[in-house]
Amino acid sequence: MMIIMKANATPQQVENVIEQVKSAGLAVHLSQGIEATIIGAIGETHNILADRFEGLDGVDIVQRITQPYKLASRQFHPENSIFPLDGFSVGGDEIVVIAGPCSVESRSQILETAIAVKEAGACALRGGVFKPRTSPYAFQGLGEEGLEYLAEARAQTGLPIVAEIMSQVQLDLMVKYVDVMQVGARNMQNFNLLRAIGETQTAVLLKRGLSATIEELLMSAEYILAGGNKQVMLCERGIRTFETATRNTTDINAIPVLKKLTHLPVILDPSHATGHVDYVAAISRAAIAAGADGLIIEVHPDPARAVSDGKQSLKPEAFAAMVKQVGQIAQVMGRELATVSREKA
Amino acid sequence: MMIIMHPGASKAQIDGVITEIEKQKLASHPIFGVEQTIIGAVGESHDVPKEIFEALPGVLSVSRISQPYKLASRQFHEQDSVFEFNGFSVGGNDVVVIAGPCAVESRAQILEIAHAVREAGANALRGGVFKPRTSPYAFQGLGEEGLKYMAEAREQTGMPIVAEVMAVSQIEMMSAYVDVFQLGARNMQNFNLLRAVGETRIPVLLKRGLSATIEELLMAAEYILSGGNTRVMLCERGIRTFETATRNTTDVNAIPVLKALTHLPVILDPSHSTGLAAYVPPIAKAAIAAGADGVIVEVHQDPAHAISDGKQSLTPEAFATMVKQVKAVAEAVGRKFGN
Repeated sequence: MMIIMKANATPQQVENVIEQVKSAGLAVHLSQGIEATIIGAIGETHNILADRFEGLDGVDIVQRITQPYKLASRQFHPENSIFPLDGFSVGGDEIVVIAGPCSVESRSQILETAIAVKEAGACALRGGVFKPRTSPYAFQGLGEEGLEYLAEARAQTGLPIVAEIMSQVQLDLMVKYVDVMQVGARNMQNFNLLRAIGETQTAVLLKRGLSATIEELLMSAEYILAGGNKQVMLCERGIRTFETATRNTTDINAIPVLKKLTHLPVILDPSHATGHVDYVAAISRAAIAAGADGLIIEVHPDPARAVSDGKQSLKPEAFAAMVKQVGQIAQVMGRELATVSREKA
Repeated sequence: MMIIMHPGASKAQIDGVITEIEKQKLASHPIFGVEQTIIGAVGESHDVPKEIFEALPGVLSVSRISQPYKLASRQFHEQDSVFEFNGFSVGGNDVVVIAGPCAVESRAQILEIAHAVREAGANALRGGVFKPRTSPYAFQGLGEEGLKYMAEAREQTGMPIVAEVMAVSQIEMMSAYVDVFQLGARNMQNFNLLRAVGETRIPVLLKRGLSATIEELLMAAEYILSGGNTRVMLCERGIRTFETATRNTTDVNAIPVLKALTHLPVILDPSHSTGLAAYVPPIAKAAIAAGADGVIVEVHQDPAHAISDGKQSLTPEAFATMVKQVKAVAEAVGRKFGN
C-alpha cells in the first residue's frame, strides 16, 4: 500500500503513520519528495483495509498496490481452476453451454426444454425456482416443486442442474437437489449468503452485480472461497450503463480481464447481457472468441408465453443453430464443446 | 409518435394536440382510456422534433415509435452498404484491419510501422496528425508534415490512409492527402464538422462518443449522409462506465445492434475500448465473432517510447499474431479476410 501524505503533513504525523504501518505487521519504505512524503507499506496487505490509514492525521490518499483478494487471485494460484461436473469439466479446454428456461413453470415445460437443449448440445440445465423479480407482484417461482421437476429432468437427460439460491433459508433444500447453485446479480453482495454457500461443497455460479466492478466480483468470490468451497464459476451478465438499446451492456472486456486476474472459470450470460434474442448468438460467439469458458443461455419452448424473460429466450431451434456457431468459434480457439457423459443419459 | 396526455387533461388540450399533429402533416389517432388519453401521430415523422408536442399544455410525455434517422436506417436501405477501396471493400464479406500508430511521430516511425503492419496483413494505415489530447500540454500532432509522411507510406505500401480531422479548417488541406477521414469520439457531436465532412466525397470513419447512445451515433451518421457523403463507417470504441479495470468498456452489444439498425459498415477499436495491449487480441476476435466488419488497431514498433497511447499499442509481432487469430475467427463466421 502507498500512503501519500498531505503536502503540509508534520514530521509527527509522518512518524505516527509509520508506527501504525509497523503495528499492522508491515515493513515501511519511506520516500521523502520535495512536495510530498510517501510511505510504502510492504508485506501481506490483502487483509488490511486501506481505511485503517486513510483516517490518520496528515494522510492525503491511500493506494492499494496489491489485490485485495488472495484465494481468487491468479498470483496465488497460477494454474486455471478446473472442476468436474458430471462427466465434463469447467475451466479447462471444454466450453460449457448451460441452457434452460428463466423459470421452471411446470413439469412438462422443464422436461420438454431439457430434452430439447440436450439434443441441441447443452451440457447442463438451468431453471429458476426462486425468482428475484423486480416487481413483488410478478411470478416468484415454484420453489421445491420446481426442484423436483428439475431433478426429474436430470434423471431423464443426464444434464446436471443449475438453479438460483436467493436466501440462506433455502440452502439445505438447494444442496439436496442442485449440482450448481447460482448466486444472482442482485445477491452478488449478499455477504451472509456468500458465506453460507462457502460452507457447502456444492459448485457455485456467481453472477456479477448490475453495477459491480470486476474487483468487487472477485471479492465476492473470495467470500465463498474463504469458506472452503473452491468450485466457483464467475459469470458476466451485462452491466448497467447509459445505453438503452439493450437491457444491459455486455462488458466483454471483463472476460480477458478476469482470465488474467483469476484462475476461476469465466462464463457469459448473453441472454441477460443483451435482453433480446436477436443478439444472443452474436454475443455468445464473441464471448467464446474473447476466451470465455462457457455460456448460460435462456431457452424456452414457447417464448411468447414464457412467464418471465420471454423476449430474451431462444426457441430450441434457434438455440441449436447458435450452439453450432459457438462450436465453430470454440474450434478456432483450440477448444471443444463439453458434452454430458453418455452412460448417465 | 405516441403522445401521452396527463390524467385529467382537458378536452381543449387534447384538441390542441390534435391540431398540432395535423399541422405537422401527420394523421392523429386518439385513444381515450379510462385514466388517460393517448394520441398517435402517424406518418413520416423522422424529421418532426418531438419537442413540438412535449411543450403543449396537458402533454405528459412523447415517445417516438419510428427511428429519428432515415438515411442511416436499414429500413430505408435494406442491403449492406459496401464501399470499395484499393484492393478490398468495407461492409461486404471482407473483414478489414486498419492498423498504425496513435500519432505520426516521424517519417522513419510511420514508414517502419506501415511496412510492418502491411506485412502482417493490415489493409489500411492509421496515424493521427491532429491529436485531440486531454491535456493542452500533450503532443498535439505533426499536422501537414505528418500527412506527407503518411502519403509516402501509402506510396510505398499501397495501403489507403486514415487520419483524424478535428476542425472544419483542416478539411481542405486533409482532402489532398487522406483516403478516409476519421471523426474522433470527442467530435462525434461536433455538428458543424459533421456537416462539413458530409459535403466532401471522402469516406468517413465515425467513432462513437464516450457517452453517446447507439441512436446518437446513428444521428451523427445521418448528418454526414444528409450532405450526400454516403460512405460512412461506424466505429465502436468503448463507452464510459463505472468499471475502472479497463480504460473504457467495449460495448460489444453495439455490433449486432448496429448491424440490425443500419446498413453502414461497423468496425471496432479494441485499443481504445480496452486501453491495454494484452486485451486487444481477445476483444478483436470477439468483435469479428459478433459480426463486425473490421477492426482498427494501434501498433507501434516501440510502445514503451510512444508519444501517446503506448500502453494500448501492440508491437508489430503481437499484431501479426492477432491478425492470424482474427483471420481464423473471420473464416469461422463465413467471412473473407481483407486482401
